[in-house]
Amino acid sequence: MPRISVPIAWIDSDTRTQLEYALTFVSEDVVSYQINMTDSTIEAEVSSEDAREPASRKIQELVERYQKREFGLPKVIEFRQERELPIVDAWSGLLERRWVTPVGEGHVILRGMAAQLLSLIAAKVDGVFARFFGAEQEFYPATILCKTLDRIHHFTSFPEHIDFVAHLKRDLDVLNGFSEDCREKGWSAALHKDRMGDNDFAICPSCCYHCYEGMENWQLEAPGRCATMAVSCHRFEGNNHHTMTRLRAFTQRDVVWVGHPRFVMEGRAKAEEMIVQWVRDWNLVGSFETANDMFFTQDYAIKASFQRQQQAKKELRLLIPSEGQSISVFSSNFHAATFGKAFNITLDGRPATSACVGWGYERWVYAIFSQLGFDLDEWPETLRQEFQNHKCGKLQWK
Amino acid sequence: MHTEDIGSELRKFVRQQFSIPENDPDFTDDVDLFNYGYIDSIGAVELTGFVERQFGVVFADADWINFPLSSVREISMFVAKRIKEEL
Repeated sequence: MPRISVPIAWIDSDTRTQLEYALTFVSEDVVSYQINMTDSTIEAEVSSEDAREPASRKIQELVERYQKREFGLPKVIEFRQERELPIVDAWSGLLERRWVTPVGEGHVILRGMAAQLLSLIAAKVDGVFARFFGAEQEFYPATILCKTLDRIHHFTSFPEHIDFVAHLKRDLDVLNGFSEDCREKGWSAALHKDRMGDNDFAICPSCCYHCYEGMENWQLEAPGRCATMAVSCHRFEGNNHHTMTRLRAFTQRDVVWVGHPRFVMEGRAKAEEMIVQWVRDWNLVGSFETANDMFFTQDYAIKASFQRQQQAKKELRLLIPSEGQSISVFSSNFHAATFGKAFNITLDGRPATSACVGWGYERWVYAIFSQLGFDLDEWPETLRQEFQNHKCGKLQWK
Repeated sequence: MHTEDIGSELRKFVRQQFSIPENDPDFTDDVDLFNYGYIDSIGAVELTGFVERQFGVVFADADWINFPLSSVREISMFVAKRIKEEL
């Protein structure tokens, strides 16, 4: 298979991780790639000789996007907890026990102890966070209008990961043809060609967008409101789907504040304090630090740097010892008045500000089994007790 | 040009451009214009244009990252220093 090599002039370790992630979207002609830090190049295999030039050009464009020296990615680590951990291959262990069953790329079914652990985490968010903040529970559809995503500039920041919802055209010939082809040949993606209607919905890429959309033209009373919701979200991540670190279909839980900046910022800060306490209580290994979204746009450098400088995004990252990496299981985000302006949500005549904190439930489950293994007796005492009490319905939150 | 004079013109521009009422108790020279929702990224572009036209200084994208430029006071101090070519 033809190989290409693209030089990288300068890149730091944080940016390297993000470039590595983004490379999966560079071209479907790129079959495999790796960043070679020794001679500062990206080595890639491409599908054909004809693909060499366009693939090289696209990789070069991506490299330029990420190697802007004048911007930096300042990192502040607010909390870190460390201890020696055994190396546990949680993915194999979960599959063997049938507590996790993959049902397509980045799609998993959870059952047994994995499902019980997820249920405990959900109950803890309810019993500790939602209750403390008096968050009003809301329930949302799993899909969202493309028009809404456009209004909040989602498509111009993260076009690569949207899973659009498609349906066949309202046309008898199309419907009959699709059905007959399926009967004769079995389903394949090729059967979609020219048969799909226009997309007007996408699967929610994030949990809280409906919250702001649902408050359009609201005039809030001071200091604002707090809501909580869980949504089955989707993000397509190319070749990056593996184990449970990057799922295409995942469950996200959020607590959201909308209102006066002080109310919003104080709520977010308190939730950050509480999540750190949670990590301490369960004796998990990880850190709480500033972060940035993986903006997939030409202006990545300035957006990411600005977000870090403003500490608009922070993440709790838990270590996965067997994979030699940490994954984000919780994020805290301040949106300023972005959503207040987009949906005309006001307070005292000014656009309301908003913030959210969010949990990725499946990632929590995976990180906990990865760090603590499968023997409940070996788990930290607080976690073990909460798990057992939750299982038998006796858990009371303080 | 003094920092105070720059601050006064900036304050007037931000008030008018972003429709901030005279009696808004949160709007001070030290309030974080972004965190308090007075200005978003599009507003930052408008503000940059005003500063460049009004005070004859040039803003680079990286300035927003490398210097504290969140409040009227911080921006005034930055502009004053750039006029004097200290930055």
